[in-house]
Amino acid sequence: MSVRKDSGRRNNVALSCLSIILFAIIMFPLYWMIVTSLKREIEIFQVPPTLFPRVFNFDSYFAQLKQGDFNMFQSFKNSLVISAAAMLISLVLAIPASYGIARFQFKGKKLFILSFLVTQMLPVSVLLTPMFILFKNAHIYNTQLSPILADATIGIPFSVLILISYFASMPKELEDASRIDGCNRFTAFLLVFLPIASPGVIVCAVFSFLYGWGDLAYGMTFLLDQKLRPITAGIFNFMGQYGTKWSYLTAFAFVTIIPVVLIFVFMQKYIISGLTSGAVKG
Amino acid sequence: MNYIRRFFISGNIGYLFALPAIVYMVALVGYPIVSNFILSFQDVTVTTLNKASKPFAGLGNYSTLLGDGVLRTSLVNTFVFTLSCLAFQFVIGFALALFFTQKFSTAKVVRGLMMIPWMIPMTVTALMFKFIFSSNVGILNQALQACGLITQPIEWLLQPRLAMLSIIVTNIWIGIPFNMILLSTGLTTIPQEMLEAASIDGANKRQTFLKITMPMLKPVIASVLILGFIYTFKVFDLVFVMTNGGPVNSTHLLSTYSYKLSFSLFKYSQGAATANILFVILLIVSILYLRFVYDDKEMS
Repeated sequence: MSVRKDSGRRNNVALSCLSIILFAIIMFPLYWMIVTSLKREIEIFQVPPTLFPRVFNFDSYFAQLKQGDFNMFQSFKNSLVISAAAMLISLVLAIPASYGIARFQFKGKKLFILSFLVTQMLPVSVLLTPMFILFKNAHIYNTQLSPILADATIGIPFSVLILISYFASMPKELEDASRIDGCNRFTAFLLVFLPIASPGVIVCAVFSFLYGWGDLAYGMTFLLDQKLRPITAGIFNFMGQYGTKWSYLTAFAFVTIIPVVLIFVFMQKYIISGLTSGAVKG
Repeated sequence: MNYIRRFFISGNIGYLFALPAIVYMVALVGYPIVSNFILSFQDVTVTTLNKASKPFAGLGNYSTLLGDGVLRTSLVNTFVFTLSCLAFQFVIGFALALFFTQKFSTAKVVRGLMMIPWMIPMTVTALMFKFIFSSNVGILNQALQACGLITQPIEWLLQPRLAMLSIIVTNIWIGIPFNMILLSTGLTTIPQEMLEAASIDGANKRQTFLKITMPMLKPVIASVLILGFIYTFKVFDLVFVMTNGGPVNSTHLLSTYSYKLSFSLFKYSQGAATANILFVILLIVSILYLRFVYDDKEMS
């Protein structure tokens, strides 16, 4: 018995070590980026390369504070504004829509679900040119409203589809009970159903935000003014201008992923549930 | 007024909840799809962009594109890119999923952390790998040289075939977690008793895998592959940032070529037509996927 336990424990240690090695291999590009951002320019060009910065150097981060046109923190703020606003629009529209579709029978319901599914698979390329013309005619081209409106078109279908399954799974009795307690259809939705669906709402909020945060095409195409552009477009511009200044570029890239990593650390449960239910159940 | 009220009583009140989202999507997705379609039959350039009446071009844009070598390259590239990414990210993702279903202390935490590559913005991933593949400072060349495998640095991103390869490798890195997590979830739905029963009956690991695990996973595998196809086929940011279609238009995908036509060459109509080709291919695959999911649901 004790022999078996021992071999089980050894197996556990071996597998755990192996998993950490696999993890290190997969994460190496990320590690390399962060390390590079902390090196001095001379050290980056050194052969053989150093796996760990010999002298920690934060200049690449501080230098960004001064540069007017490529201010990393300005574009960080822009990205926050754009993603948060797109997330809000997505939630405000998707929550009632999914409730309506999940809890009531009406004509054309299937068609709506189907069109939300198809929209999710749409390439940005199809929408870019016509949206560009549309926003120009509406005089919101080169304002942050245009990428906000465009980013929300990714968050809405995702959120609707996720929340439909949440609302549909709630028992009919819940509705009857809330009626007896004096709720009408709208207050029942707001006071009874919505709180129960809140884990689903968090999933949708996280994903809608991340869609906006990761977007490059919309932010770059609809915003001309560098001071308004999101951080992804900022990096892209910066690459064009200072293509070989890798310490600055990697610092810029690291700042971009900080919110993503934070969201990941605190919301991992929701992300995995969103990914699997969004993709598998469709 | 009474009619309206009667309409919304009973089930039709569902419309009221759904209406704002639907209006929004019709205006910002439905309308652009239609107008992209119309645009592809017109001749819109910078000069005609703001005019009320736009010259009709019929199938002109499509026939121009048929004769366009770059479009053909982009079409071939898009398929090569999608299929090779799909194959590798699926196999690696599957291997990792199987690895992490074993019981050991770090399994859950490490598998969760493996999701990070999938979450970070593609622009950042593209930059990271551009640095790794860079010919003078890239760690890849330095490592290969240190091992004595090459004497001269390889220009990964400056030679057409190697550039395509580099892009594919980068996208595989992004796709692995997606495949892994979906397949992992699929694996957990296989009843443990079934696997135990098989091993009691004398099946070895390989037999259990081929006769039980694989058939049980079939629906998940199909979903992963079709969704992977859809997501990979429309990739834009990655190629745009890493090579922007270069060197000499050799790594364009349909998405990046469409962007170039519209926003660098200002041939809006040709860009729209290219985007429509991409759209139609994706639509066909999406319909296949939806029918598949739908059939699956009806069966259960």
